[in-house]
Amino acid sequence: MDIDPSKILVRYNVAKEKAQTPEEMAAELYPTAEPARTICAAIFDGEEDDVIEGLEKAIEGGADPVALIDDVLMVGMKITTDLYDQGVIFLPNVMMSADAMLEGIEYCKEQGGAAPKPKGKVVCHVAEGDVHDIGKSIVAALLRAAGYEVVDLGRDVPVDEVIAAVKKESPMMLTGTALMTTTMYAFKEVNDRLLESGIKIPFQCGGGAVNQDFVTQYELGVYGEEAADAPKMADSIVAGKGLAQLKEQFHKH
Amino acid sequence: MVKRYTSLAYKAADDMIFGKSVYPVKAELGLEVGAGYVTAEVNYAPRPEAGVSKEKLVSEYRRLTTDIMARAVQIGFPAVSLETEHVEQMTNNPDWGGEIAHVQKTILEEYHEEYGIKCGLRHTPGDIRENRDLLALIGDKYDVLMESFEAVADAGADFLSIETMGGKEVLDYAILRNDIPGLVYSIGCLGSIDMTMIWEDIRKIADKKGRIAAGDTDCSQANTAMFIAGGLLDKNLAHTIAIIARAISAPRTLAGYEAGAQGPGKDCGYENTIVKAITGCPIAQEGKTSTCAHADVMGNLVMQCCDLWSNESVEYHGEFGGTSVQCWSESLNYDAAMLNVATETGNAKMLRDILVLSDKYRDPQGYVLAYDNAYKVAESIAKDGDDLYLRAKNAAIACCDILNDADSKKLVMSKFEINALNDAKAALDAMTDESETFMSESVEKYKAEVAVFRPDDNYKF
Ligand code: B12
Repeated sequence: MDIDPSKILVRYNVAKEKAQTPEEMAAELYPTAEPARTICAAIFDGEEDDVIEGLEKAIEGGADPVALIDDVLMVGMKITTDLYDQGVIFLPNVMMSADAMLEGIEYCKEQGGAAPKPKGKVVCHVAEGDVHDIGKSIVAALLRAAGYEVVDLGRDVPVDEVIAAVKKESPMMLTGTALMTTTMYAFKEVNDRLLESGIKIPFQCGGGAVNQDFVTQYELGVYGEEAADAPKMADSIVAGKGLAQLKEQFHKH
Repeated sequence: MVKRYTSLAYKAADDMIFGKSVYPVKAELGLEVGAGYVTAEVNYAPRPEAGVSKEKLVSEYRRLTTDIMARAVQIGFPAVSLETEHVEQMTNNPDWGGEIAHVQKTILEEYHEEYGIKCGLRHTPGDIRENRDLLALIGDKYDVLMESFEAVADAGADFLSIETMGGKEVLDYAILRNDIPGLVYSIGCLGSIDMTMIWEDIRKIADKKGRIAAGDTDCSQANTAMFIAGGLLDKNLAHTIAIIARAISAPRTLAGYEAGAQGPGKDCGYENTIVKAITGCPIAQEGKTSTCAHADVMGNLVMQCCDLWSNESVEYHGEFGGTSVQCWSESLNYDAAMLNVATETGNAKMLRDILVLSDKYRDPQGYVLAYDNAYKVAESIAKDGDDLYLRAKNAAIACCDILNDADSKKLVMSKFEINALNDAKAALDAMTDESETFMSESVEKYKAEVAVFRPDDNYKF
């Protein structure tokens, strides 16, 4: 027994696929000048060694190592994350590109003896009692890829530790991940403790168990449905949006 | 030394069917699994506020167990099985899990006595073997875990299960980087080594207490991959990579049987059809009637060879149709009734094939797990059954070959999926045939790349 499946299911992913390959689309976005072009391509391909080689050439040619971070490395990374946002490439590509870019940044810092100011600092954590940390790792990677400094507290993080880290690091935003209905209540406590201390930073919460209705119950909470919403929200904060506007933007349901 | 499988329990894929296995198992209260009929396996989770004390938790399980049994007799179902997946407190305090198993079993006994309904009880302690950021597979936590198994076995749990985490620390890294050798290493090698250790001990406890060492699942790895892969339009992992991880998980789950498990395998092991082909042991599965817990792309197909049919998990609370466990157990039981009618009327294979064709071409994952293809993966595993590395690599290669040979008019893959598949196949082709070389190179590679990987503390190589 067999069947023509077209009458019983639709492969929407195939139907919606773009005609151009991701490589072709990326190539259209690379800067035209060398060695920036080659470095951006190496980031897109996730080839660390080629990134470093390109940077060496650029520095030999007189480029300022620290300026290369913003002018070339971040540009290459943005091409990759933009294509991810458009659904053209998949997460592992972003992870590998981010690894390559971060190595490039380290190299530039060593060469230049200085570091550029990151776009902002974000503290990430998984709720107390919860070990499900892949979503959090994706969030952290995408934030780093977007040029933010990430303080990753890991998983199963006690509320006390979250509060202490926020006080110590003074981040522009805090993220929380929870995949269990039993653990997500910690977010309310984090919220209350932050408010008690007079800290009013946006607290973006996501992960399997968390939904918008829940997050709406505490003042600092903004719901994050997918990992890509984290750098988007950070960008919105940099652009000057306040809590109310952030909720407006990210509460889609 | 455990004896590894080097041949299949079934002579042909077509012999595999729901409700029947080569080696059925029997629980205390009349329930047989794999003996010719399918039974519902009802799963549930306590409400968050029930976790605050032992008394509250025990009371929660007493209520929900009574609810399930009451509904089963109200609708006239001949059999039902329950699975209690521990919340962490129940495993860390072995007497909590023990008392809950006792309370549940007592209720089952009462219903069995009064109505003759056949019942079974599975307990699944949580794999508590970790410290905040590091796995701690061997040591104090292992001992507590074994105490938990003793306690629930003592208290009457018929089937002992767990979802182990061996290899997860490397998988979490590898899966986000399309690292195929990393999948073979974390799932096929590290996972199987841990499985071999833990299942020998679980079997000893089961034998001592007259219970059944049921089985494991690669939830922590293959299901992680499947969830990251998500739906058709999600962009986090190619579904072709997710099914390669799944294929590699079959020899891992198999290692549990080699060390003493007898079935029924755990519901969320989507690899179970492959495993059943090799062991002939009964399996639980979940799919279209576990949408309360998660979405998947092969909800009908996975019924194909199930012996228990599960809803994975649902929080205990009220619904319009009764409590959640009553609603979902009723749906499961009706599914089982339909499957059993097919068996009784001689239409089982027809129904099996209808279920399979509903999803075989929906996604590469369902395609490879369809019983005819699953059987091919099983053959590739048994071919080098004695070598944990080679059989995992074989499973991955068999998976790629099945997809590459697929009739492209029926299983239509996106370019993206095909590219990921080609890259994976190239990576597999570049891998060594020497187990020892692979093992020693991998341990060094991942020690350098994965900060939380502590091989010496966690694996008895
Ligand atoms: C993989 C998995 C595991 C793995 C985790 C591996 C790891 N390193 O994370 C392991 C095996 C360890 C595990 C263990 C357990 N698990 Co588990 N697990 C899952 C599973 C199958 C998939 C989760 C996953 O990784 N999804 C993929 C990731 C990428 O998704 P995500 O984290 O949600 O993140 C996405 C978005 O939410 C978002 N996001 C996440 N965080 C944030 C934050 C911000 C700011 C933003 C913007 C976005 C964002 O970004 C991501 C991508 O877009 C789910 C099933 C399910 N239905 O979800 C069960 C599930 C979460 N587990 C469950 C349970 C019960 C457990 C255990 C208790 C089982 C046991 N008895 O041992 C233990 C927990 C122990 C503990 N103390 O925590 C239950 C929870 C039920 C509940 N109470 O709510 C679930 C729902 C399964 C079920 N249906 O019963 N599990």
